[in-house]
Amino acid sequence: MTDDKDVLRDVWFGRIPTCFTLYQDEITEREAEPYYLLLPRVSYLTLVTDKVKKHFQKVMRQEDISEIWFEYEGTPLKWHYPIGLLFDLLASSSALPWNITVHFKSFPEKDLLHCPSKDVIEAHFMSCVKEADALKHKSQVINEMQKKDHKQLWMGLQNDRFDQFWAINRKLMEYPAEENGFRYIPFRIYQASGILVPQPEIEPMLPVVEVQSLNHWTIVEVLKFTLLGVLLIF
Amino acid sequence: MAEEQESTLLLPPSTAPEAEVPAEVSPETATPEPPSSAAVSPGTEEPVGDTKKKIDILLKAVGDTPIMKTKKWAVERTRTIQGLIDFIKKFLKLVASEQLFIYVNQSFAPSPDQEVGTLYECFGSDGKLVLHYCKSQAWG
Repeated sequence: MTDDKDVLRDVWFGRIPTCFTLYQDEITEREAEPYYLLLPRVSYLTLVTDKVKKHFQKVMRQEDISEIWFEYEGTPLKWHYPIGLLFDLLASSSALPWNITVHFKSFPEKDLLHCPSKDVIEAHFMSCVKEADALKHKSQVINEMQKKDHKQLWMGLQNDRFDQFWAINRKLMEYPAEENGFRYIPFRIYQASGILVPQPEIEPMLPVVEVQSLNHWTIVEVLKFTLLGVLLIF
Repeated sequence: MAEEQESTLLLPPSTAPEAEVPAEVSPETATPEPPSSAAVSPGTEEPVGDTKKKIDILLKAVGDTPIMKTKKWAVERTRTIQGLIDFIKKFLKLVASEQLFIYVNQSFAPSPDQEVGTLYECFGSDGKLVLHYCKSQAWG
């Protein structure tokens, strides 16, 4: 893992320059200027957009504001997908900055989960980590950690603290020396509709592949194995 | 890479209208239920895996959450966790504002938009997926 430190840092500090514009039908008391922000790829929209929310709410009346939600070219953005995933899936072939539209009305119940507080994001994130560890270590590593370690993992992500995060995460990325790897490697494949594979919906999948056979496989081989025309691995 | 994309993302419907419920989630009990063409009982000669459209789920209550009279269900693979939550809440006659949490392996709560079929593939054992449900966050 220490050899990969540079790669880990590059992944962690990846940013997407984004321009937030208020939806034209929102009711404002005066003109709302767009808001520019560098979004961390590894984080979640509702975790890093407090300033965006404040910026637009300044020009709106309280009664016109309900839960914030984001949309790109007509597609509601699922806050529970990492930002980098959303961008790669929907906007990677478009010019920067990523143009996101901000809404405060008409929450699309069928497309998005509600996000009433940061606790919900934390619960979702921790569940993902636990789900992954169930496959990697039969949940042993995550369950042996103390509550404060779980908290440190979350705070590291929330506060963009690489060292704080990886002090805990490295334990989740270790396996015993006598084993050749994790029990199973968890991964999800997300695909947008493409030319080769006509599928109208993005289908998150969590396939499980026996580690023994995966030891020296590359990502490309894994993708071929799962027989998908694939855009992205998470 | 340039791809075409749909203009909207559509989740499988997360709230099933009353009429839809019996057809998608069928109980496996000896007592006669309203006939459903999609009903599947466990331990049949049906081939396991991809060819089976439904998967078997065993529901277990946690703490003082009401216990469902019928615990074993055959559920469409594409049913979401949210759909299952709505179904259990209706079955237990909980009000909409009451929360219900579902856990896999007594350790994590899958995202509401995850499909039970995928969870079964990864975490099922002995031909079924065991899910614990609770009115409060048991393993949050």
